[in-house]
Amino acid sequence: MSRFFRGGDDSSTESSSDEEELYTTSEEEEEEEDQEQEESTEEEDEEESSDEDEGPKKTGLSRFLVDQAESESDESDEEGVTKVKSAKDKRFDELEATITTIQNRQKIDDWGSIATEFDKLNRQVVKLQDGGKAPKSYIKCIAELEDFLNETLAKQKVTPKNKKLNATNARGLNAVKQRIKKNNKDYQAQIDAFRKDRDAFMESDEEEAPLPKPSKVRFQQEAFAPEEAAEDEDKGFSRVDKRGKAMPFSPESIQKHLRAIIESRGRKNTDRVEQIRIMEELNKVAETPYLKIRVLQTLVSARFDLGSGTTTSMPLEHWKAAEKELAALLALLETHKDHVVIEGAEEWEDDDKTPVLGPDDKYIKVPGSVVSYIERLDDELTRSLQSIDPHTSEYIERLTDEASLYNIILRGLLYYETVRKDASLEVPQESVNRIIQRRLDHVYFKPSQVVKILEENAWKQVPDNVDSAITPRGLSGDAGQLIHTLCNYLFNNSEGIIRARAMLCQIYFLALHDEYYRARDMMLTSHLQESIANFDVATQILYNRTLVQVGLCAFRKGLVYDAQNTLQDICGSGRQKELLAQGVMIQRYSQVSPEQERLEKQRQLPFHMHINLELLECVYLTCSMLLEIPLLAQIGSSPDIKKRVISKTYRRMLEYHERQIFTGPPENTRDHVMQASKALAAGEWKKATHFIHSIKIWDLMPSADEIKAMLAKQIQEEGLRTYLFTYAPFYDTLAIETLSTMFELDPTKVAAVVSKMISHEELAAALDQVTKTVIFRKGVELSRLQSLALALSDKASALIETNERTLEVRTQGSANAFSRKDGRQGGQRAGGQRGGRGGARTGGNAQRQAGGTQFTGGALGAAVRG
Amino acid sequence: MASAPTANGDAAAVASDYNLVPKLAQNLDRHLIFPLLEFTASQLVDEESGEVKDQAKAREIAQAKYSLLKKTNMTDYVANLYCELQGLEEPPAEFAERKQKVFSQLQKYEQETSKIIELLERDDVVNNLRSDKVANLEFLKREHDVTMDMVDALFDLGNLQYSCGNYADASEMLYRFRVLSTDNDKVAYATWGRLACEILTMNWETAMEELQKVRETIDSRLSQNPLAQLHHRTALTHWALFPLFNFEKAREPILELFFNAGYINTIQANCPWILRYLVVAVITNRGRAKNPGIHQKQMKDIVRIVKQEAYEYQDPVTRFVHALCIDFDFEEAQRQLVLAEEVLRGDFFLLAHADDFVDSARHLIFESYCKIHARISLQDLSARLGLNADAAEKWIVNLIRDTRLDAKIDYKEGTVVMNHPPSSVYQQVIEKTKGGFFRTQVLNAAVAK
Repeated sequence: MSRFFRGGDDSSTESSSDEEELYTTSEEEEEEEDQEQEESTEEEDEEESSDEDEGPKKTGLSRFLVDQAESESDESDEEGVTKVKSAKDKRFDELEATITTIQNRQKIDDWGSIATEFDKLNRQVVKLQDGGKAPKSYIKCIAELEDFLNETLAKQKVTPKNKKLNATNARGLNAVKQRIKKNNKDYQAQIDAFRKDRDAFMESDEEEAPLPKPSKVRFQQEAFAPEEAAEDEDKGFSRVDKRGKAMPFSPESIQKHLRAIIESRGRKNTDRVEQIRIMEELNKVAETPYLKIRVLQTLVSARFDLGSGTTTSMPLEHWKAAEKELAALLALLETHKDHVVIEGAEEWEDDDKTPVLGPDDKYIKVPGSVVSYIERLDDELTRSLQSIDPHTSEYIERLTDEASLYNIILRGLLYYETVRKDASLEVPQESVNRIIQRRLDHVYFKPSQVVKILEENAWKQVPDNVDSAITPRGLSGDAGQLIHTLCNYLFNNSEGIIRARAMLCQIYFLALHDEYYRARDMMLTSHLQESIANFDVATQILYNRTLVQVGLCAFRKGLVYDAQNTLQDICGSGRQKELLAQGVMIQRYSQVSPEQERLEKQRQLPFHMHINLELLECVYLTCSMLLEIPLLAQIGSSPDIKKRVISKTYRRMLEYHERQIFTGPPENTRDHVMQASKALAAGEWKKATHFIHSIKIWDLMPSADEIKAMLAKQIQEEGLRTYLFTYAPFYDTLAIETLSTMFELDPTKVAAVVSKMISHEELAAALDQVTKTVIFRKGVELSRLQSLALALSDKASALIETNERTLEVRTQGSANAFSRKDGRQGGQRAGGQRGGRGGARTGGNAQRQAGGTQFTGGALGAAVRG
Repeated sequence: MASAPTANGDAAAVASDYNLVPKLAQNLDRHLIFPLLEFTASQLVDEESGEVKDQAKAREIAQAKYSLLKKTNMTDYVANLYCELQGLEEPPAEFAERKQKVFSQLQKYEQETSKIIELLERDDVVNNLRSDKVANLEFLKREHDVTMDMVDALFDLGNLQYSCGNYADASEMLYRFRVLSTDNDKVAYATWGRLACEILTMNWETAMEELQKVRETIDSRLSQNPLAQLHHRTALTHWALFPLFNFEKAREPILELFFNAGYINTIQANCPWILRYLVVAVITNRGRAKNPGIHQKQMKDIVRIVKQEAYEYQDPVTRFVHALCIDFDFEEAQRQLVLAEEVLRGDFFLLAHADDFVDSARHLIFESYCKIHARISLQDLSARLGLNADAAEKWIVNLIRDTRLDAKIDYKEGTVVMNHPPSSVYQQVIEKTKGGFFRTQVLNAAVAK
């Protein structure tokens, strides 16, 4: 009867008839009329039957189909028939086979295999009848099986002891018993019919059996809009007469196809590739912009569904196709200004008509979100880049797609700008922000030349007469200005995370382009270090990246202290990889659940966004060396002074290096820095310079020679300081001239360095202007008792400080009792905020603490834990 | 202002290179800018002959003055300026018209306010006023039917008078308005207005009071709006320059204000050029400060800030500090001091303090020089201080006497010998533990609360 008509529902049946009325009047009128009559009666039937089940409708439709099938039967060898037949019939054959097996097993009372076969049977039958009626043979089988079951049970009761079933059989029997009851309830009507008149039931089956076959074909094709079948077949046939080829997709049916596809989204047994193929066809036939937009939208989202697995990325060809289609969609929206795709538009319920512009409507609104499509496209690209080995040419090839993606983003932005112009559409600000954020994400980490090329290419694709209000075409030449504009826009129009991200992107870009002071000032005025712990992990990673970039920038500027200070948090932790999302740490104690691991993998940045970790380490260690070695020399002579440590990581490495009995020539960056440190500590600054200069990775820095020169200069100075600290106790006087030749520094420079040290009371000495010598004062060494007394007094004041701080924390806000302290702290904070190198080195401890904590924004732990 | 080198050569060029008037002007009121322009114009006039040296520049300034005052209601003066600029004998009729208009407006407001002014002059009324503004208003309304409009008219009249250059009256009006009004915004405006009036009438005592009031409003009322706070603080910083360099007693409170965390951040973030004034104020303050500790701290702070801001703002004055206290490059400091003197002489605020500054700066150089050196040749030192040998000797002797430096002059060798006693360990311990008791007491009090 009707394998044919499963899956339909009331509304579509009705609307199909409506559509008939609308579109088909021109052709096949006579047939139409019959049909209409038939259908209208059918509709009445439907209305009468309150039953939700499709049974009654089907009878109506099938009645009509029977005729059709008859008329069709001649053409059963039509193309496509065979193809589909095989798929369907295979299942049928399988079903039959299973049924036979069950029947055979019944004969030998093998309940164990009956149970398994029964399960199989049920699975097969589900495939064959999505919601409609089950095949006759199946009904027959289950009915018989039930009878047989009852029989067996009865038998068992009668002879409980002499014929005990074995264990497998008993289990199988029970399983079938339980399942069959439930199962058969669903088919009760059919089973009753079967029981009532076995022969008649089977006969009707036989009669009809040949009938559905030819039409099955088309049914399979139209699987997504079954109701369509009748109509389409109908037309199909007449068209075959005219053109000699079947034409299954027509503009009129597009909406229904789409609806079916949308409804089947997310269901288990949908064949997405097949759907995409259908929609590609639909796209070809779509005529009006409205339909085109609809088809493209559905098509793009269907493609995205392909990659919706958690780990797999979208296939390449589909990504490309999606990109093309999105471009087409945007082009369509550009040319047809009266069509808009906006979120929250009303769904168009009537599948038979396309919406037309009413007299008071300005737009045809299509529900959907362009920005979401773009975001998804972007995400998919990132995902695929994550999964490709970055050292292959495939990666580079894939990377070229970024340009087209950027173009889409730009056009998306233009689209939103035009849409936003009309306030009546109420496009939320958020969409624009999101798209700008995406655009920013693609440019902020790139050097300005690259951005320029990217921009130029993107604008080339845009018609000349279109311009952006937010980022005018003229801006594309100046990357810095572009970033500034984008960030400012976001800053003014958004809040929360997007705002923070915009700021970080801008700082990153500034730092990348050597604008250290601006970057630093922005970083400090943003106060992000205080709140970064409350943001999501991606933002924290961006924060870490920015921080590192600022540090590197400071280093390039020769600001060793600031660089070290800034990089301390990231590099000192030994977890750079995790903090920058550039690789997963191998967990020693494997406390990470697979779920966390998966998340972490997802966060990884694609390779082209990476910051070179080796270079980072090299910079960090070099900076630490320049600060630590003089410090070590200074405190070396007086072990009682509480050890000040600038970089624990560096100290550890140095200790490890010193423990080695034999040291070979340096191999990696770390070895180079360590050996340089040793040389510097011994006053051999030339050797140290040589070691540092022979590190190869400096070549990756822009203007490597300048950096090397800068480092050489720093090493000279720090070498001089180290020398003075180390050897001061052994000299009475030391001529400036000698020092100057020793360190190849200008005498005035030497004098300046010495003066600074004297002035900051690091060195107990004075200059003699007449003889141009440094006179070291005697008697400054402390006795044991004296130094202990000093240490004690230090501890006492530290104790008071801690107490005050504790109380301050406890009585936050109301602690006006500390007006004196607050004032001082404010001052200090002000100093700290303006960053970097507050007091000179002597200010040391306190200053360093203030400076040291300023960038810490708890991003550490949180970024890793997620 | 364009920096065209004039006949006076380098000095003028230096002065104009570091001319801050355009930057300052952005944050000052029209009326406050006027003295600056006057000063710039007077700089161009040769002292002896009284001739204007640079005609083009003078004209430029006159033009600037005109456009500055055009918007004010000082019609007569503007009309004169216009005539001067255009070379006209008679001012055009529009000025007269405007004058008429201003007059009528003035009269109108005066009428509106006459009643309330009269009331406020009556003793029986004034005696009934309390500190509660709302109650006062109630009282006036009840007894003498004063309306809110009348109070507001006071504000308008004050505004108009200020605009006409009638500062003393304006100040009076605004004062009265402030006593009565409950409109916080307008009161804030009135306070600013009064500050301007007092500055322009050189009434420094009251100006300081107003300054304090403005500061309080900024701190309290704008605490929710950091941006406005920043702008207001910037403006206040600029306005405060007037009393800072003209009124001896204002020095310490204003320095204290500038070094307040909020203001020093404002200066650093928004107007680093103020650093010049701050440096000069701090350096010249050395002998006057009652508490040498504070001065030292301020000195330390200013050095730190100069260093931090070096990338953003530099002029000879800050460079002097940088060379002396950060690089210890005494020659460079000496060079910058010469330049700095020129800059000071070309600056409206600092002109009067140039000598003072140079003197203090020399002290400073000597001080840090002595700190570092054990033996200095007199000859070298005199060259460094820019004095001849005898004068230098005298200067040093005076200095040693004044500052009680531990130094002797070895006349035979021609050197100054410094004696640096190492700071005693016991002294250090005492220093470190000195504050402990007091701090613990404070702590104790806080816990007890």
